Parts: sequence; structure tokens; C-alpha cells
Amino acid sequence: MGIRIKNVNKSFGKHLVLDDVSLEIKDGGFVSFLAPTGAGKTTLLRIIAGLERPDKGQGKVFYNGVDVTDIPVRERNIAMVYQDFINYPSMTVYENIASPLKVSKNKMSAKEIDKKVREIAELLSLSHLFKHYPSETSGGQQQRIAIARALVKDTKYIFLDEPLANLDYKLREELRGQLKETFSYNKKGIIIYATADPLDALILSSHVGYLNEGKILQYDILEKVYNYPQYVEVASYFSNPTMNFLEANLVKENDDYFIKITNDLKIKINNTLKDKLNKKEYLLGIRAQAIKPNRQTKKDIIIKGIIELAEVVGSDTELHFKYKDFRLLALSQKIESYRIGNTIDIFIDPSKFYIFDKDTRRLVYRMEGEK
Amino acid sequence: MARIELKDVSHSFEIAEGKEKLEWAVKDMNIVWEDGTANALLGPSGCGKTTMLNIISGLLTPSKGKVYIDGKDVTELSARERHIAQVFQFPVIYDSMNVYNNLSFPLVNMNFPKSKIKEKVMKIAEILGLIDYLEASTSKLNSAEKQKVCLGRGIVRDDTVGILLDEPLTVIDPKMRGELRRQLKIIQRELNITAIYVTHDQREALTFADKVAVAKDGRLVQIGSPHELYSNPVSPFIGYFIGSPGMNILDAKLNGSTLSLNGFKIELSKDITDKIEIKNSECQLGIRPEEIITSKERTTETIPIKVAVIENMGSYKILTLIKKNGSNRDLSIKTRIDINMSVSKGDIVYLKFPEKYLKIFKDNHKIY
Repeated sequence: MGIRIKNVNKSFGKHLVLDDVSLEIKDGGFVSFLAPTGAGKTTLLRIIAGLERPDKGQGKVFYNGVDVTDIPVRERNIAMVYQDFINYPSMTVYENIASPLKVSKNKMSAKEIDKKVREIAELLSLSHLFKHYPSETSGGQQQRIAIARALVKDTKYIFLDEPLANLDYKLREELRGQLKETFSYNKKGIIIYATADPLDALILSSHVGYLNEGKILQYDILEKVYNYPQYVEVASYFSNPTMNFLEANLVKENDDYFIKITNDLKIKINNTLKDKLNKKEYLLGIRAQAIKPNRQTKKDIIIKGIIELAEVVGSDTELHFKYKDFRLLALSQKIESYRIGNTIDIFIDPSKFYIFDKDTRRLVYRMEGEK
Repeated sequence: MARIELKDVSHSFEIAEGKEKLEWAVKDMNIVWEDGTANALLGPSGCGKTTMLNIISGLLTPSKGKVYIDGKDVTELSARERHIAQVFQFPVIYDSMNVYNNLSFPLVNMNFPKSKIKEKVMKIAEILGLIDYLEASTSKLNSAEKQKVCLGRGIVRDDTVGILLDEPLTVIDPKMRGELRRQLKIIQRELNITAIYVTHDQREALTFADKVAVAKDGRLVQIGSPHELYSNPVSPFIGYFIGSPGMNILDAKLNGSTLSLNGFKIELSKDITDKIEIKNSECQLGIRPEEIITSKERTTETIPIKVAVIENMGSYKILTLIKKNGSNRDLSIKTRIDINMSVSKGDIVYLKFPEKYLKIFKDNHKIY
């Protein structure tokens, strides 16, 4: 049981936004559609919700095995939360949350409605705002009101389209944690969450689908997508901050094989790995978390980096530096200042490299091995 | 470039409206921005940032106090006479002119000789990475390039004393934001411009500036380097606002050397109690998530608490820990743990608060 989409195409004018997308989502999941702007994630979400129709042809959407492709959204019993905080401005917060229950077909008593509204409001810390109007509340609160309205009806399927995108960093951080807690109560249905923020996907999801140019490039449980990104595109985007990539060659020096980026930066490879590598050129990926301005392990490779910028992000410092012709990103888990132009020692943990095929851009090997 | 100073500056819009009851948009501001430094003015919306900006640039004369540039009182001077350049949220450029003419416009207006103009424009274009676009119509530029043209036009004049950047990345495409953030910082360093970057975004402020002034409700709360704001916040607001997740601010009660929070007790050493004047009082304990030691083993003097939410951040996890407290407020603490530590929702973990990281606040001020 769950949601299934089959061979969905969607174009706007001549522009093909979704290209033959098929996907099966089982009940009980929190699924993130992760992608940069313009990859088709919102369109896919809207097609699943019934707000858009697939192009004529064989594209189908099934809920619990039932073809709902031609069923209008209002008959589908789903809930949707949008990027903009959409609430009824003339209703109080209480009335806003209660509104879906009042128009619902299966009439609830006033007492039942009240109980339900209070329960949801408590979950989303809105109880103290019941008498206020949405315009009197903050952006974060307005979005929580919209989410409360989506949750109050007990629908099985809830769709959220970048609900945190318009919030500033502190509110995002707070609401993200709260969403995680709130949705842990909804274990029977499916939540689909479209986002451009890798951190949202990382924190909230059980499953992640990465979209690229109208196709789902990888769909799997969260840990698989994050730890074994199958393509350079997935690895690059589903990293926070973005993954570093370095061009490398397979070389033989004396009797040993190396993946060599430069003379100072090369990784010796064992026979098992050697057997997997039958090309000359590779792309090495490594997350900023494995590159630090201080020692991480005994096996660290040390290189000289010229500081280009130190960016303070939350409680971390993202260190942009230049190493020969490469521009790389290291991460220090504290707030530190660095002088632009200074040369410092940078420590790379070689066990954290991902090896990608340079032509097909597919993952060949993860140095850390199987987890 | 120059040193810019606000001295005892307050402003109320009600004065001009003739109202009796005054609300202060900005109150008792004293800030010095030293010559050639990178600064930021950071605060949530409604903190008085825009009012301060207008007071510095000369669009607004403050109700009280003085503005000095290199020690000279400029409070009564108009924006034109102050020579402070400004970059706004939305790029303001002359669409009908190409990039070169946009950049040279201020110099042409001052009747500079042509050769001199060219020399200056070329130098600025070089620094801003606009050399290849000089002949291009500005309508062809992306938002980041347009913003650079605005910046260039602001600093092309020799008599510019400083530059105000008012949320300059707001309309920039997210993909280009990082690059422009980097370039703004490099340009400031290279030209030694006195720069004040106004924003509500911690990342932009802390990345750009060597010295950040944080404002709230029209008042200056703290001014310092990003590291100072992070490691030594003067109030719970700063502790929470800087850093992600913010500092834990926990209601506590001090009795002699014992700090009680919601059923738990922490014994303070003499080093701390000697420095605190208050002996028996309500207060707040501040400690950052990354400073708390979280363990699955119970040892002496640890605090047992239940895991409510686990957020996997890729390289570490953030735990939200909650202890129910009957009808009183629950105790909720966030901690940062190693990515490889396995915990499940509902587990009990044990916390240790290293004394060297403890901060104690009372009435919104740090007392230790």
C-alpha cells in the first residue's frame, strides 16, 4: 500500500519538466524530493497531489493501488502546505486550524473539533495564539498555522512544498526540529516534502529522491542516498556544504598503484580496489567534513592551502581555500577567523574519498567501504 | 576612507509627528567603525537597522546625538555632502548605459579629465572582475554583476569615506550568493574600505565582518568579533542568536554554590561563586550544545535525560533532550554528538556540563 506513479511526463509548452518518472512509495515514509530549483520537484509533487495532471498518454498516479489520475484534488483527501504561508486572514488562528474540520464531509461535533484543534496546536506550540489573527504572528508561526491545518484533518497523505524556504535561519532551525517531532506521530501515511535544502532532507526524511533535469536520479532510504550517492550530481548536491571534487589518474609507481591527484595528494590502493578500476581518469569526491584545519586521524594527508574565505555558518566555519589549481572547501566545527591569503596546513582524511567514473559520473567505490 | 562614529544617537519618529509619547526606533547608540575595517550591523527585523543606516548615510537626522566622520561633526550634513556610498537590496543602475558609463558616471559629474576617468574605472573594473563586461549593456548582466556595478560606482570616487551595504544579497540567485559574498570580502580587504554591512543574516554578517554589532529593539546589545559573540555572549539573546543551534538557555535557581535546574543540581566551584554577587536568586544557565558532554554511560555528577528528537546533520547529530516536569515547564536541552554515536528516540543519555563553558545570566545580562 502506498503511492505509485508510473511513466509520468509533464511539459509546459515545449519545455519537458518531467521525463518518464516512475516511483513507488510505501506507506509509513517521510520522503524528500531533493533538487535544485527548476529540476521538477514541485511539479512532481503537484502531480502526485492532483494539482497538476500528467501529460496525455500513459502517465498514471495510484493511491493504494487505485488509479486517481483523473480524480480532482478536492476529492482525494490529501493535505498540502505551500512555500508561502497561506492562511485565512479574516479568521483567528483557532478558526484557521479548525476550518478543514468544519467543511469536512464527515461532520464532527463542536466538542470533537475543539479537542482536535487543541491537540494539534499543542504539538506545534500555537495554543497561546488562538485569539490572534495570522497577520499578528511571525513568519514561523504563520507557517506552523498552515501546517496545523494540514495535520488536523487526519489525512493519510500530506504534501509539503518547500515550507521552510521563506524563513530565516533561526526560524528554519526551530521549525525543522519541530516538524521532525510532529511528523513522527504520523506513521501510517506518507509525507512528501519537496526541498532545495540538503539539510532538510538529511534531518527529516526516511527516504530521499534526488531529481535532475526531470528524472529521478536516485531514490532510496536516506542512509543509502547520503552514504552511497550513485552519481556525481547526487553527491555534490546532497552534501552540506557541497562536496569537493578533484580530477585524478590511476597510476603505477614502482610496484604500487595509486589514485593520484597531485604528487602530494595520492592514495595508495589495494588489489581489491585495483580490480574495480579499469580506466585511467577518475573524479574523486570528498565532503568538507573530512577536510579540516587540524589533524583528524594518523593517516591524514597534509597539504598547503591558501585561505580564500572563512564563512561562518551556524556554529561552524566553512573554509574556502586554494590548493594548486583546485578550489576546495574544508570545515571547522567552531567559529574561527582566518586571514585571507594566508597559507595553512590542511588535513585530509583519505578514508573518506568517493571514487567516481569521470565519463559516466557514476560511483565506482567508497573508500570507507560498506557500512 | 575614514572613521565613522555614532555618539549617543537616539531617534524617535514620534517627535516629528508631534506626539507626546515617544517610542525609540534607536536608543543611545554609541559605535565607532574604525578606518578601513569590515563591519556588520546585525539584528532581527524591527531592531532599528534601517533607521541607523539612514542616520549614518544622512537621509535621517537623529533626534539626539551626533554623527562624526574622522572626528568631524557631520550630523547636519546632507547625504550628498557626506560621501558615503550605498549599495541597496535591489541593484540601482542606469539601464540605458553600459557598464563603463555606469562606473564612470560619478566622475563625469565631477568633471574629471577623460584620461583620469578611464584609469580609475579600469582599476575598479579590474578589482570587481567586470573588465570583460565594460561595453556590455547593464540589462545583459545577472543580479550579482549588477550589484558589483553598484558597488563600483559607489567606490570609484576618491572622496568616498565608506560604504554601506544594505542586505546586498537579498535578490541574488542563491547559486551566485556564495561567490559574491566572497568577492565583497576580498574587495573590502583589497581597497581598505570602511564598510558597514547591514543584515539580519548571521552567516553574511559573521562572514563579512571582523567586528559585528548586534542590535535588538533599537539598542546595541553587543559588539565584537564573531568569535567573541559566540564564546562570550553578554545576554541570552546573543547566545541563542549566534550559533546553530543556539545556546541552551535554562531556567535555574542559585542557592549558595548550588545551581538547581528542574530537579537537577550542579555544584559550582569557588572560582565561580566568588565572582557572582548574587547568592540566592532565580537565574539562567547558558551552555552551547557542542559544549555539553553527552554519554550513554552513567557516571557521577551526570544528568539523566530522555532523547526526544534526533537530527542527523551529516557530520554530527543534534539531540533534543526533554525532561517532563509535571505542571511546570519541561526542561529541554539540545546537545551535539558524534555522528557514530548510536542513540534512539526514548533512550536515556547522561549529560555533563563542563564548568569552563558555563555562563550565568540574570535579568538578561551575563553575571558570569
